[in-house]
Amino acid sequence: MKKFNIPLFISITVLSLFGLLMVYSSSYIWAEYKYNDPYKYLKSQCLFLILGIITMLIVSKIDYKKYYKYSSKIFSACFILIILVLFIGTERNGSKSWFGIGSFGIQPSEFMKLAMIIFTSKYLYNNKKDIGNIKKGVLPILGLTLIIFILIMLQPDFGTGIILVMGVIGLLFVGGVDLKFFLKIAILGILGIIGLIIAAPYRLKRILSFLNPWTDPLGSGFQIIQSLYAIGPGGLFGFGLGSSRQKHFYLPEPQTDFIFSIISEEFGFMGVLIVSSLFFFIIYKSIKIALKCEDLFGKYLAFGIVFILAFQATLNLSVVIGLLPVTGVTLPFLSYGGSSLLITLASMGIILNISKQNK
Amino acid sequence: MKITLLIIFFIFIVIILRVFYIEVIDYKKLNKKASDLWSRNLPVGADRGIIYDRNGVILADNVTTTSLVVIPNQIKNKKETAKKLAEILNVEEDVMYKHVSKKTSIERVHPEGRRLSYEVADKIKALKLDGVYLVKESKRNYPYDTYMAHTLGFVGIDNQGLSGIELTYDEYLTGEDGAIKYFSDAKGNKLSLNEVYEEPQNGMNITLTINNEIQTSLERELSNAVTKYNPDRAIGIVMDPNNGEILAISARPNFSPNNYQDYSLEEINRNLPIWATYEPGSTFKIITLAAALEEGKVDLNKDTFYDKGSIKVENATIHCWKHGGHGKETFMQVVENSCNPGFVVLGQRLGKDTLFDYIDAFGFGKKTGIDLNGEATGIIFDRSKVGPVELATTAFGQGVSVTPIQQITAVSAAINGGTLYKPYIVKSINEPETNTVVKETKPTKIKQVISSKTSEKVREALENVVANGSGRTSYIDGYRVGGKTGTAQKVENGRYMDNNYILSFIGFLPADKPEVVVYIAIDNPKGTVQYGGTTVGPLSKAVLKDCIKALNIKKADGGKEKKYKWPDPKTLTVKDVTNKEIKEAKKDLEGFNVIVEGEGTKVTYQSPEAGTKLDEGSTVRIFTE
Repeated sequence: MKKFNIPLFISITVLSLFGLLMVYSSSYIWAEYKYNDPYKYLKSQCLFLILGIITMLIVSKIDYKKYYKYSSKIFSACFILIILVLFIGTERNGSKSWFGIGSFGIQPSEFMKLAMIIFTSKYLYNNKKDIGNIKKGVLPILGLTLIIFILIMLQPDFGTGIILVMGVIGLLFVGGVDLKFFLKIAILGILGIIGLIIAAPYRLKRILSFLNPWTDPLGSGFQIIQSLYAIGPGGLFGFGLGSSRQKHFYLPEPQTDFIFSIISEEFGFMGVLIVSSLFFFIIYKSIKIALKCEDLFGKYLAFGIVFILAFQATLNLSVVIGLLPVTGVTLPFLSYGGSSLLITLASMGIILNISKQNK
Repeated sequence: MKITLLIIFFIFIVIILRVFYIEVIDYKKLNKKASDLWSRNLPVGADRGIIYDRNGVILADNVTTTSLVVIPNQIKNKKETAKKLAEILNVEEDVMYKHVSKKTSIERVHPEGRRLSYEVADKIKALKLDGVYLVKESKRNYPYDTYMAHTLGFVGIDNQGLSGIELTYDEYLTGEDGAIKYFSDAKGNKLSLNEVYEEPQNGMNITLTINNEIQTSLERELSNAVTKYNPDRAIGIVMDPNNGEILAISARPNFSPNNYQDYSLEEINRNLPIWATYEPGSTFKIITLAAALEEGKVDLNKDTFYDKGSIKVENATIHCWKHGGHGKETFMQVVENSCNPGFVVLGQRLGKDTLFDYIDAFGFGKKTGIDLNGEATGIIFDRSKVGPVELATTAFGQGVSVTPIQQITAVSAAINGGTLYKPYIVKSINEPETNTVVKETKPTKIKQVISSKTSEKVREALENVVANGSGRTSYIDGYRVGGKTGTAQKVENGRYMDNNYILSFIGFLPADKPEVVVYIAIDNPKGTVQYGGTTVGPLSKAVLKDCIKALNIKKADGGKEKKYKWPDPKTLTVKDVTNKEIKEAKKDLEGFNVIVEGEGTKVTYQSPEAGTKLDEGSTVRIFTE
């Protein structure tokens, strides 16, 4: 048995602590204004970070093979939760995604992401020989994913939904599904997006706004312009910690989706380089662990987790810097959000455990 | 499987490159836009450029005033603030409330809060109200008030040039306002970040070709003319004939640019020296004379002419201004006497095309191109419609219509050696801090109209006019003055008006090498002889005398002695009578009014001193022990 992967653990901890600092720096203005308590978001995030790190350490000690055994139970529990949230969830920012517990909120779709990865890994492991057969091997799991996606979209939470779908697709690719099939999926995906746009035309406006945010600076282009106003003036070295101007009510809720803008503003290009490097290092380390893992279930699990992490991170960054339309995806480790942080750290715990078991 | 790692790596590189683009390449643009978003500007008014005369005398500058500015977002108690401000400014409370509650980042309290007195400003300052600011604003000031008002022009409430040089050179004179920039959050609250002071960039200074000493003289004389004759209009221009520089320019009626609102638009907008268009009368004869001399059509001293008081041209009879005519005269005398039939003959000798070619060449019928707005073109006969009668009248200045600036520019060319210059008034434009020349006007030669030989002959003839002829009232002892009078009947609805003339005089000195040309025209003077020499001559003489001082022109020898003519007073030279017996002295000073001071018998001192020329009957004081 290999020992604990210290570099990975340290990078995760550093990134999360930096996230905590940035959550405070970007949120205190709004927190003071809204709740009369500048530490409101900091306190909550701090609690979840401690909880998350403990969880990560505990999870890293739990043999990942246990998830194989309990995967259906975990999946079923999460499935029930994402249905329940549609009925008894609390609505925030127009989405019914949370179970409110006091001032805290639990976001079941975040848990579903991990559950789905575990479930898919087991599925792929069990149906190894059928995976070449689209009908028999691939369609069932895709169908299930689609159902989950639709359920999440009912909240609606497009960001989490798309990440979940992409995570499964990535896993299927690793599991050996024919590339041609992915092409067909891509076409289906595009058709699906077109369908979604027809269903709700505001999405088209969002998509178009990212191409040229200045055409509608006060409407659909607003967030991206405000984000660019934060990133641009940051320059090479930024205004320094705490000195962001955009967090002064210009950028709405800067501690969530657009925390990276505030990081750019306060730490400049150098800060961006360091944060990106940490992300890439964590992803790189995790993929290496996945590659090394000889147990197929473990390999799939690790890959799934990495895919979700990498996809979420790159999607968030691309949105923030205006490369993709606004989707509503948080930045792992850094953005404010208890459930997201807890699940991300827990998944890292799994990776750490797989790493430990690698020879 | 490693391909996934590569793909992820690639995506990260794209992201980093994009951030690099935003933060480094696009930095300037975004930073500027974001800065505009974050910062609120308290304006700091820039000073408008100063206008100087050629010797550095300030003709237009600025006085600093204070204006009230409010930032509605920072005003917590709008009612209270509005009430207090309204009290001090003495305006309705709801008017002020509208200002302080306006949905704007910054509101200039206009017009109630503009240009506040120190007293009011102090009261407002003492209140220490949130979101209420006093900012510096500069106001245009014209120290010489009405001086050359039309030419300088004036500015509006926001210091924008509205007429004259203020308008034509507005882009140079206007500075760039600075600001005190402070940062604010999206709700308008002031952030505790450092304020940035952006220094205003003052406008550029303009130096004119004007000589304020001469300008003062011209203004004084025009005012005198107004007091004495109550004319409809009075116009004066002083020019350096050797380069087209305007040394003085003015007109009546005028206005005060400090209070331009009190005048009618018509009074303000018409810059008469370049806008007024009228028949020049005899001053135009200089053009005919120059053309005839250049073409060799006349020898002034040898050729003679018999003026019987009128001349028949086709079916029309053209009268000389002098009833009965001048009799037999040389052409020099024709010029001296300003004899109309004589000039008709010169016109006929030249012929239609030649005369009109010269009129064109001297710049009539088109704008001179002076750097002022509102210039008129004047009206010259359409050549195809010129018959013998039109040719005849044009030759002595009737039937054509010119502007004062055309007149003085053309005459300058006739006497300066023959070169027509483009007149100009802005000498240079300078950067205010370093005084670097941004733009400089150099004299512009338009063309050589006549030869310098011809020009010399014209000068001589015009010097004779002042010494012997109709321009005698402008004779200055010890200086060589040339000039020409003009009397033009005004035309209304195509008919000459009775007893309504524009009297003018154009004079220059020194006659052998002119340094300055003065043109003065008085439109419809009341209660005087309607004749240029009598009315305008003394005015231009006074201006010319001041030019002598201002330009430091030396006394000259070789001038023409002024011919004695009734009713001109005779001038006598005061003899040296010191150390002479009183009786003897009185004899020597015959023709003067001698006053003896003291009880002695011998003269010890005399005033004025010997050698002074005085009019007959002037007082000479002699002092005894």
